[in-house]
Amino acid sequence: MANLLTINHLSYSRNLQLILKDLNLELPYGQIVGLLGTNGAGKTTLMRLIAGNYIDRKNSISINTETNSAVRKSLVSFTEQVGGWSGHPRIFKIGNFYDALYEDFNLTTFNQLLSNLNLSPDQRVNQLSKGNFRKLVIAVTLARQTDLYLLDEPFDGIDSMTRKKIISSIIQWKPENATVLVSDHHVGDIANLLDQVVIIKDQHVAAQEAADTIRETLGKDIETYYEDFYREEL
Amino acid sequence: MKFDDKIPIYYQIKQYIYKEIIINHLTPGSKVPAVRQLALDLAVNVNTVQRSLRELISEGVLESQRGKGNFVTTNPEILNNLRKNIVEEQLSLMYDHLASLQLTPDEMIQALTEYVNKRKETHHG
Repeated sequence: MANLLTINHLSYSRNLQLILKDLNLELPYGQIVGLLGTNGAGKTTLMRLIAGNYIDRKNSISINTETNSAVRKSLVSFTEQVGGWSGHPRIFKIGNFYDALYEDFNLTTFNQLLSNLNLSPDQRVNQLSKGNFRKLVIAVTLARQTDLYLLDEPFDGIDSMTRKKIISSIIQWKPENATVLVSDHHVGDIANLLDQVVIIKDQHVAAQEAADTIRETLGKDIETYYEDFYREEL
Repeated sequence: MKFDDKIPIYYQIKQYIYKEIIINHLTPGSKVPAVRQLALDLAVNVNTVQRSLRELISEGVLESQRGKGNFVTTNPEILNNLRKNIVEEQLSLMYDHLASLQLTPDEMIQALTEYVNKRKETHHG
């Protein structure tokens, strides 16, 4: 089967600063992929470009062979696209909002996700704790039925019980053919979940390797493998 | 279940299922939980569980019945070999450790016999 995501020679600058340079990446269908890199390596920028939130003028990115960024936006469910509603709506109102906004949004799935994540539809968003807000973002993102999910640091600053709930939701709700790209700087959080890892360093993809190859052939855990990319230059 | 992050997860899942069969938590002929359920229970990727099950099926430890799921084999030969192999694996680790301490095979047998007797006493005492 053809790749879900193909990126050819992508470069991107912002405010005269080069963030990504000649980046190449291919992702297949049906996998969970870890996107690793230090703070400022360009993980979020890459996700915004894939999702079509930032414009890639050279059409270097294609999803299902679609390069148009406006069309791509509809093919990708991205955690960062959650938000921007007015006032302090209750959670069920937010469900209705996205149900109207996205054709692929499934309200039944959304409600099941809420209940799995112990969120009440009657809670108001401004009254949610940081962890519960993260859970809501995950529920909205996974309630869309699409081929590519981009989860940007979904475990940042949350406790281990919440993390486990979010991981269960990903396992349970990811459509079989869909691919999830999840960025994290604590690899250990998600190591058991990954089919492969992509490491962003020096503005491009420095490595892309299957989790089993890292463990079986290199005899390393994923965290060590990742850290070794930085150790070499110390 | 706690995984060792240096060892492929699919391999550890296989070991886990072997053990469940040997201690009769999964009895011969019984149905193994569905792939996604196993993935949820173990908090791992569905693809990883699929790989483990695929290998267990090709080893004959599990039998796949189209549309019904996967079942533990009832073949006594395979089940006996499974038990034998798992025990042998542990013994081989122990043998290598003791050999690296320069124990002769006779000394190993003597040490093991003494140790087993000691454990039996503390168990009954």
